[in-house]
Amino acid sequence: MSGNELRPSSRLRRGAHRTLTGLHPVFESVIAGTVGLLVGAILMYMYGFDPWRAYFALIKGAFGGSYELSSSLARATPLILTALTFSICLRAGMFNIGAEGQMYMGGIASILIAYFVLPRGLHHIVGLLFAALAGAAWGIVPAILKVTRGVSEVISTIMFNWIARWSALYIAIFLIADPLRPERTLSIPVTARFPILVRGTDLSYSIFVAVAFALVIYFVLWHTAIGYEVRAAGLNPTAARYGGIRNKRTMFLAFILGGMGAGLAGASVTMGQPPTYAIFGGGSLTQLLNLGFDGMAVAMVGRNHPIGILFAALFFGGLNAGGRVMQFYGSNPVPLEMVRVVMGAIVLAMSIPELIRLFPMAKAKGEQFIAALKRSTKRGERGESA
Amino acid sequence: MSSQGGSSEGGYFLRADRITKVYSDGTVALKEASLEIHSHEIVGLLGENGAGKTTLTKILSGLLPPTKGRVISPKGPVRFASPREALDFGIGMVHQHFALVGPFTAAENVALSHESPFSRIRLPRIKTQLEALMEESGLHVPLDVPIEKLAVGEQQRVEILKVLSRDVDLLILDEPTSVLTPLEVDELFTLLRRLKSEGTSIILITHKLKEVGSITDRVVVLRHGEMVGDVRTSEASTERLAQLMVGQALDEAGDVVELSTEEIPRKAIRRAVDRTGESVLRVENLVAKGNTGEIAVEGVSFDVYGGEIFGIAGVEGNGQTELVESLTGLRRTVSGSATINGTNILGIDPRKIYKLGVAHIPEDRWELGLVLPFTLAENAILGVHRWKEFRGILSVLRWGKINKHVRQLMERFDIQATGPSAPAKSLSGGNQQKLIVGRELAKDPAIIVASQPTRGLDIGAARYIRQTLCDMRDKGRAILLVSADLDEVLAHADRVAIMYEGKFMDVCSPDNLDRERVGMLMGGATSEACKEAE
Repeated sequence: MSGNELRPSSRLRRGAHRTLTGLHPVFESVIAGTVGLLVGAILMYMYGFDPWRAYFALIKGAFGGSYELSSSLARATPLILTALTFSICLRAGMFNIGAEGQMYMGGIASILIAYFVLPRGLHHIVGLLFAALAGAAWGIVPAILKVTRGVSEVISTIMFNWIARWSALYIAIFLIADPLRPERTLSIPVTARFPILVRGTDLSYSIFVAVAFALVIYFVLWHTAIGYEVRAAGLNPTAARYGGIRNKRTMFLAFILGGMGAGLAGASVTMGQPPTYAIFGGGSLTQLLNLGFDGMAVAMVGRNHPIGILFAALFFGGLNAGGRVMQFYGSNPVPLEMVRVVMGAIVLAMSIPELIRLFPMAKAKGEQFIAALKRSTKRGERGESA
Repeated sequence: MSSQGGSSEGGYFLRADRITKVYSDGTVALKEASLEIHSHEIVGLLGENGAGKTTLTKILSGLLPPTKGRVISPKGPVRFASPREALDFGIGMVHQHFALVGPFTAAENVALSHESPFSRIRLPRIKTQLEALMEESGLHVPLDVPIEKLAVGEQQRVEILKVLSRDVDLLILDEPTSVLTPLEVDELFTLLRRLKSEGTSIILITHKLKEVGSITDRVVVLRHGEMVGDVRTSEASTERLAQLMVGQALDEAGDVVELSTEEIPRKAIRRAVDRTGESVLRVENLVAKGNTGEIAVEGVSFDVYGGEIFGIAGVEGNGQTELVESLTGLRRTVSGSATINGTNILGIDPRKIYKLGVAHIPEDRWELGLVLPFTLAENAILGVHRWKEFRGILSVLRWGKINKHVRQLMERFDIQATGPSAPAKSLSGGNQQKLIVGRELAKDPAIIVASQPTRGLDIGAARYIRQTLCDMRDKGRAILLVSADLDEVLAHADRVAIMYEGKFMDVCSPDNLDRERVGMLMGGATSEACKEAE
């Protein structure tokens, strides 16, 4: 058809699988990554560091050997799960910012299994179950608010992150602290710890939990009627309603699935990260901090596709692991601050295509919000004059 | 007509000089098309869907850059980087698909086109100005209601007002009459004539031959992106124009392709419909509210029997949309009842309504009918994705069976696409609609609710869809056909209801109606002469 053919409005193009350059998404991500590396290189060059050797250190530190690769994978594990949280909800048409809080809750819940004595295997399952349920439960209130009262999930989940943060801290310090070492919580009993996968590294079998969850989510979204409904409702809620899909149910479901992912992320840290197998309360929940927010960036780079997220998480894990090596490698030590700047440039470049794709969606939300605000203020004015 | 089109032979207002437009996907929309526009003249731009009419006018109004060629004013070539620049130059376009901001009111939308990004928006001033303009032009719209709550016809009026308020020298209207009542069309044409006498040039895009004859001074005919005719209206016969427009194309059957929707022959023989038994769809005193909370459907009652097409004609925005949405579970009703084979269908889920044997071909295929980024296969199961045939244990979708089903649909309904995994948005409008029709008919429904099923489609696809609906009727299915295309309803329906302001003006056989009478009914004039069909 010619360009004369009636074109859908921009609102309808929202969420379309178009890419910024019209290239294949994978290829586009590679280009974006290259641009990011280039920008990072220019920055380092400007400040007098040798970008070649710095990047060599980064890559060597990330993927240079079995130890390096293992530690990259270990760092990728929780990110896979929190990225899935964001992606599932996005596929259902919502911005779930709540992975962080849901992950705290999952982490805390998994610690509770220290109070049980169970055989190996069953103890793992119970731990994961606790974490998944806690994460999902933490998502239920924002989901209910969204479905029944139309409360923006962006705002409610951000607030719930703070509630979760301080509650988790309180629980860690006052309720489940280890009597012998009060700066941290009880540690996960040996029967519930994930065994180390590569000796001498912190990579444990928990990575399989993350990968399995990603595969399950992929299967659910693309190969079941339920996932089909979630995606349809996310892309075009009106058409979904026309197709007999109950949008509220799909939203709720996406929140629950996402919350489970975040909960498991918490458990993958507590149950799968040596040496402590516990949460350090000491003021900041150090091991868990920001895993939920980083997951959103991973989701962007992975283009909100479960399989893409696996690779994106490995990339992020590699950046984290390799970034540390950049600081002390050879004659070209790059200070931590510079490492962070370079990593930021790379992540930003890689997120741009997906961010732009999402922008119409964000814009539509903003417009709705402004319209609602306007209507209510107008009503108020009228009320005063009357 | 106060002045003739050629009165300013030497001087022209704007000239399109051998313009070629190739879209990024390789489609050649225009091939060296040239057009000269004088002041004091109304030019009709005639052509089928896809002939390049809209592309040409979009280039003139600064919305698209030409691939080759120039736009020339008497002072030299001009180049518009944006519609705003074209507006400042004095060229305004009313698009077929509106460029309005949904949550904004009419006044705010007009303000958008007036003010530069840094100026203060003076809404009260614009409102007074608009009210004066509405008085003058006879185009009335509520100014304080968000655009998205207005009916399509009203939105178009806002678009026309928006451009008129800018004092343009060249006004381009893209199919402006398709959503207006006959009375409103007359008012619009009166307005256009007055604007012309004041010196404005007007380009009217249309595929309705009658309009061309009644208002234009000159007709330019486009076919497949090429200019094939530029004639004085007074010297061109309708037949000649129609011939220019479609060429000498013949269809598969060897008939001359229908010239326009107005040329559809009335169905000579109507089958006798047995209305003695139980009706399939029975609606009694249905009352439903519109988006703004006003009563949109005001106590409508009718029956649709198996083996008949029940047509609802009328200008859009008179409650048809709300009626269809009420019957398909998409809108809550206020009162009344509606049953399908005796089972209530009001206030229940669309999913349950489909189970009763309802197929719904929606009015808006992009917003309702399809999930555009989804593939053909994914769209083909929308609404039937929970069927046992497509869903195995643990609600796993059986893509193998689905793809097989889609291939059958593609074959049976002649859907042109690369395969089941082609994105729906890559399909042309006609193929998208065929996909929807195919999907709905595959439900083997007892009743088909078809709302504007051929809107925006080219003649071939429209004819195919009408034929499909007639075939279903012949198979004994009940069909509710809602269409703003009067000729479509008159040609195919066994009974016609004319809807006006939420009520049925009359229900009768189309044989007892002529266009003029329908036109009056559509405009709200009651008529005693229209007899009940039974």
